[in-house]
Amino acid sequence: MNDGNLSRFVASVMKDARIIMRDRQALILFFVMPVLFVLILSLALRDAFGERPGATFPVLVIAPAGDRVGDSVEARFKANRHIELTRISRASDEEVRGWLVQGRYKFAVLIPDGAAAQAQRRVGEIMAQVPPELRMEPVVQVRVLVDPALRSDYRKVLEGVLALALHEVEMRLGREQLEQTLRITQGKDYAPLPDIEQTRLLTPLPAEPVTKGALGPTPTSVQQNAPAWTLLAMFFLTVPLSVSFIKERDQGSLFRLQTMTVPAWVVLGGKAVPFFVINLIQMASILLVSVHVLPWLGGDPLELGDAPLALLTTGASASLAAIGFGIAVAMYARTTEQAASFSSATVMIMAALGGILVPKTVMPPLMQDLAQLSPLSWGLDAFQDVFVRGGGLRDVTPEVLGLLAFSLVCHGIAILRYQGRL
Amino acid sequence: MGIACAPPALAAIAGAELPAIEVRHITKRFREDAPPALDDLSLTVPQGVIYGILGPNGAGKTTLLSILCGLLKPTAGTVRLAGHETLSPEVKRALGVVPQEPAVYPTLTGRENLEYFGRMQGLRGPRLKERIEACLQIAEIGDQADRRVEHYSGGYKRRLNLVIGLIHEPRILILDEPTVAIDPHSRSLIHQRLRQLHAAGVTILLTTHYMEEAEQLCHQVAIMHRGRVAVEGEVHALLARHRDDSIQISLDRDPPAGLAQALRGLPSVGDISLSGRCLTATAPHPLEAALALLQTLREHGLGVESLDYGQASLEHIFLTYTGEDTRP
Repeated sequence: MNDGNLSRFVASVMKDARIIMRDRQALILFFVMPVLFVLILSLALRDAFGERPGATFPVLVIAPAGDRVGDSVEARFKANRHIELTRISRASDEEVRGWLVQGRYKFAVLIPDGAAAQAQRRVGEIMAQVPPELRMEPVVQVRVLVDPALRSDYRKVLEGVLALALHEVEMRLGREQLEQTLRITQGKDYAPLPDIEQTRLLTPLPAEPVTKGALGPTPTSVQQNAPAWTLLAMFFLTVPLSVSFIKERDQGSLFRLQTMTVPAWVVLGGKAVPFFVINLIQMASILLVSVHVLPWLGGDPLELGDAPLALLTTGASASLAAIGFGIAVAMYARTTEQAASFSSATVMIMAALGGILVPKTVMPPLMQDLAQLSPLSWGLDAFQDVFVRGGGLRDVTPEVLGLLAFSLVCHGIAILRYQGRL
Repeated sequence: MGIACAPPALAAIAGAELPAIEVRHITKRFREDAPPALDDLSLTVPQGVIYGILGPNGAGKTTLLSILCGLLKPTAGTVRLAGHETLSPEVKRALGVVPQEPAVYPTLTGRENLEYFGRMQGLRGPRLKERIEACLQIAEIGDQADRRVEHYSGGYKRRLNLVIGLIHEPRILILDEPTVAIDPHSRSLIHQRLRQLHAAGVTILLTTHYMEEAEQLCHQVAIMHRGRVAVEGEVHALLARHRDDSIQISLDRDPPAGLAQALRGLPSVGDISLSGRCLTATAPHPLEAALALLQTLREHGLGVESLDYGQASLEHIFLTYTGEDTRP
């Protein structure tokens, strides 16, 4: 690079920086919109990720006061942080259905009157080895009414909690019945049984997040949304970037530059640098807001991990990939409308595919495989290596190299096209 | 003023005897199945002249300029600028281009535009500042230098457009319709500056739709028609050549179909061109031919608003060779 071209390059950067700085509406869009998106989505989806209790389901238990089945179900539901329990002793079927339709409750458990006594009698018959066809007491039927809008996986969780509570009651009643039998058969030698339903024989330990480095924080919505929207904001800059190129071509200034001794890299690079700086400022502002402002609004704070260099490398390579894509689009688009619509549509497709709009973890396996085609997916993986899995520079290297290769190919195509060789 | 102190950059890379621009048998086809935009076109622009390229829309003027500027490659033929067949950096530095539409950045100021393009032309430091001030002075836009160009009038934008092409003091200046749609004052200023540039030794090639402009400014012209040079030469020679045998008649109404056919049958009349109500003809004896023409017009129920003969103008020459109106 000779001095003359360096001077031209600096002038080119300054020119585009001035043009961008004078477009205040665009600046607001560049910086405010992504930050707002991250705030809104991180708060809205706060409880869909991580261990926060937030996603609470209003559950109604109808059981007479003092009923042991009702007490057990109440205790089990209350132990779950995601359940907001209301217990009442009596309500008509019609009333309960009305509350579900109104959305006051998602899940209602109707325990019939005398459920505990009936269950006790039934266990007595079972212990006395009364044949099933001669038993007087039927199984106690606990009805459940559910809001059809409740996701099936959440419904299964609530049904599982209920089944566990009922199982505990069964264990307790069985033990009591056994004690009564022992008391009769052993007389004064009778020794009470231990409370076996409260004594777990097997228990799962809390799930341990498996990370590449040290134990990392549990993924939260902000750890999905902050990098996802940073990447989307970066790639969305391809729209103004490509449009500014087409405008320059329409205004004739690009034509004028082509008649001069200005190398292609000066023209293209001069435009790339201001957008690269904007991308990095976008990333910094989104991360700062996620770390400092989001907790203040009730969201989870973003934990940045311990690898600032890996973070910076990931952001820089994602930005270069986005800029390369924007410049390549500009070289082929004929009108600003064509450039804007093509680049925005393509970025949205890459974002949807790459786990930006919908986390890859909820995608079916085929879509997860297809996600690997999107550069935004590479960027997201690299960010989450740092944020969630405690990774460092070495861990993000494959994704960073992918992004840089994508950028190189795009820039190469753009330069050849600019020189009229493609 | 910057014009007077233009350095002889081109003289350093080309002998004074070489033409500034030499176009030999160039053809340009954009599609195989379409007529060529340029069809075996040749012309020569000597150093130090103002050379006008005239032609109706679609004649191939813009294609020719794009080839001269190195933006398009001809399908066949050669172009030499200052004796060089390719646009080397030295030749490019000697070339100034002024596009038809103001090729400027609207959100930058006039000064910033000049600074940017000056740097792109390799100027720096005090020399750049000096050239910016000179260009602002040439364009007489010093009072607006620090305003954004988007707030300029059309005339000011075109003046800025012109001086951006001059920032590096080129020895060959190519202008595409430099005075389209501007006020008379700006047009007059641009004419004046082009004459000063010519006086300073700059070779100027311009396209224009304005025949009076070409007649006043240019030393030589080429009239293009359908990708070819229909006629080329020094303006005064062309005018002299067409002086004695041209007849121009303005009709009082639109001519009926078949009139041109009838006029071409007149034995005393040579070439006939009919464009709207404007009838142009050539004849070895214009007076005799004019009488015959008037007779035929009367027979077709047409009156005459004006009649000139023996006084050629570029407009008439243009119509003679292209048969088309000069207005865009």
